[in-house]
Amino acid sequence: MVAQTAGRLVVTNRTRGLHPGAWWAWALGCAVVASRTTNLVLLAVLIAVIAFTVVWSRTDAPWARAFRLYVWLGLLIVVLRLGFRILFGAKGSTVVLWLPQWRLPGVFSAVTLFGPVSAEAVMSALQSGVQLAAMVLAVGAANALANPKRLLAAVPAALYEWGTVVIIALTVFPQLAESVVRVRRARQLRAEAGRGTHLIRTVAMPVLSDGLDRSLLLAGAMDSRGYGRSSLVRPAVRRASSVMILAATLALCVGAYGLLDTGRTPWWMGLPMVVTGLVVAVVGLRWLGLRVKRTRYRPDRFGSREAWMCATAVVSAAAMMVVDVVWPVAAFPAAEPLGWPQVSLVGLGAVLLLLAPVVIAPTPVMAATTVTSAAHATATPSSAVLRPTISTEVGSTDLSSAQRYTALIRAEEAS
Amino acid sequence: MRSPLVNSQVDTNPIRLGWKSAGLLGVVTVAGLGMFAWPLLIPATEDTSAITTPFAFVVLLPVLVLLVLAQIAERGIDAKALAILGVLSAVNAALRPLGAGTGGVETVFFLLILAGRVFGPGFGFVLGCTSLFVSALLTAGVGPWMPFQMMASAWLGMGAGLLPQRVGSRLIRGRWEVAMLVAYGVVSAYLFGAIMNLWFWPFLTGPEMGSDPSLSYVPGAGLLDNLGRFGWYTLLTSTAVWDTGRAITNAVLLVVVGPRLLAVLRRSVRRARFNPVVEFEVDQTSLESVGSPRP
Repeated sequence: MVAQTAGRLVVTNRTRGLHPGAWWAWALGCAVVASRTTNLVLLAVLIAVIAFTVVWSRTDAPWARAFRLYVWLGLLIVVLRLGFRILFGAKGSTVVLWLPQWRLPGVFSAVTLFGPVSAEAVMSALQSGVQLAAMVLAVGAANALANPKRLLAAVPAALYEWGTVVIIALTVFPQLAESVVRVRRARQLRAEAGRGTHLIRTVAMPVLSDGLDRSLLLAGAMDSRGYGRSSLVRPAVRRASSVMILAATLALCVGAYGLLDTGRTPWWMGLPMVVTGLVVAVVGLRWLGLRVKRTRYRPDRFGSREAWMCATAVVSAAAMMVVDVVWPVAAFPAAEPLGWPQVSLVGLGAVLLLLAPVVIAPTPVMAATTVTSAAHATATPSSAVLRPTISTEVGSTDLSSAQRYTALIRAEEAS
Repeated sequence: MRSPLVNSQVDTNPIRLGWKSAGLLGVVTVAGLGMFAWPLLIPATEDTSAITTPFAFVVLLPVLVLLVLAQIAERGIDAKALAILGVLSAVNAALRPLGAGTGGVETVFFLLILAGRVFGPGFGFVLGCTSLFVSALLTAGVGPWMPFQMMASAWLGMGAGLLPQRVGSRLIRGRWEVAMLVAYGVVSAYLFGAIMNLWFWPFLTGPEMGSDPSLSYVPGAGLLDNLGRFGWYTLLTSTAVWDTGRAITNAVLLVVVGPRLLAVLRRSVRRARFNPVVEFEVDQTSLESVGSPRP
């Protein structure tokens, strides 16, 4: 992450990895492509592209391991989708499985379950299930590849307070466990024993009160260091930014309605309105953020690699939309009659273009081989006690293993 | 030589919604309800791609929420409110996995309801957003469902803040307050389940073409027609187990820990003194000493 050259600290996105916003843009591109097709061939290729990119570019950070959960979730969605289709009746021309139809008794007699299962119904359920799974996988990929802490650091100034809240929460979260341990130790010292609702009074409440009291201390510290100080903004600018936020909200609402009701609304009420709303929202947020003046430590730059990532996402999504309009049969193949879906080359190209991060993104830097070993080069004995296994990384350690062992023993004796 | 005097009045509403924020919140609430209820509003079209446009809502809804949050913070927020929000979000995120997956036991909402009650609607709205977001970052994972969960729980927290504080001239406190919160918790548990089902319903059962569906979504069918089908669907799939489990969890937790938690939260309100109004009082004697040069 951090490269030290001749005493100067150089931080680049080559060593830090791409800006997290770039990964989210790419994932959004994947999700848009998935939303514009139910072609099983294209969706299968897309899922393969997403999975390959994740495996290729992920680091060994904790959030990078979450992708597996999203894979299971995707599978669950496909299975649920098929299950609901069979449960609620899957009629069609090619029946592959005869299940008895079952009318619920009593007040539920309006509802019938099961019945003959047709291949067409299974096919259409599979199409939409895999489409949904592909979108969930796209979001999961962004989760695995984008560093959430760096994303929080990139929160726009107008949302500065709420970013601070999330950071406080993420910091307090591990302290809660420590607080529980402290309260329980105090209980043991008082030789208190009790279960059930007694635990709520003697453990849960003290932990919460402790957290709230500490939050007030934290707030005092924040106030004394100038957190939340607003700089003066001209009233005209403030008024204008509020008007812009309102205008953006209205435009987005109208645009959402236009997207939903394409038949009865003029063309400009759909996508153009949404894009206008988003642009106005960005400007309005920037103006609202003028009141927040602060400097950034190690600013995260949106460089050319990030721009290329966004560009590929936009081109892919646009190409898929073109296929959608020009050749709808390839984008949304009918489940009836059954058969192999037609695949358009443009659509396939749009999906394969999403492999671009493999080329654009710098090769991932594993934390275990760089940061921890660099930290352990100057590690104090106490931290060697905490993580003795990682400190065996070679390359930057000055201590021999025997020296480290004696340091470890000494530290244990000291404590 | 001025002594700042802090106004001694206790402000129980750390995040005030001005008329601009309240108006924007109203617009976004209406639009958000439309996005939850899109299956009932979508017009009849032969085009199968009609079902894909609601995916855009997954992107648009968080943008709307962010715009409201930016407007609420327009004049800055008291650092104490931020710190308490952070702590309560962390507690909520820690509580959430406790009940995950066990028959609808949902431990997120009771603290949200209590905090909304004590700190007011604006705080409840923001806490609903932040606690779901933090828990997504920490445990549950970010997914297309997250904006909808955030919006729904933000409404839940705001609604708890809008419950009446007094009947006539009498403050609602003690047993009656807990009873009111339990009633709110039970009703909101069912409503939350219903609207979370509503937006996802067509994705799970799929639009049914041609045959006579009893529980599946039919694009473009009449509002009452689809509403009836959805009613059966949500009744059969989730009301009996998940929603009832959530309602029972809410009620039990509100009865058992509600009074104590209300006391703890109210204590922190008194200690925090949100949005202090600082007035300066000129000390006459020190002015005189400034006026005349010391010997």
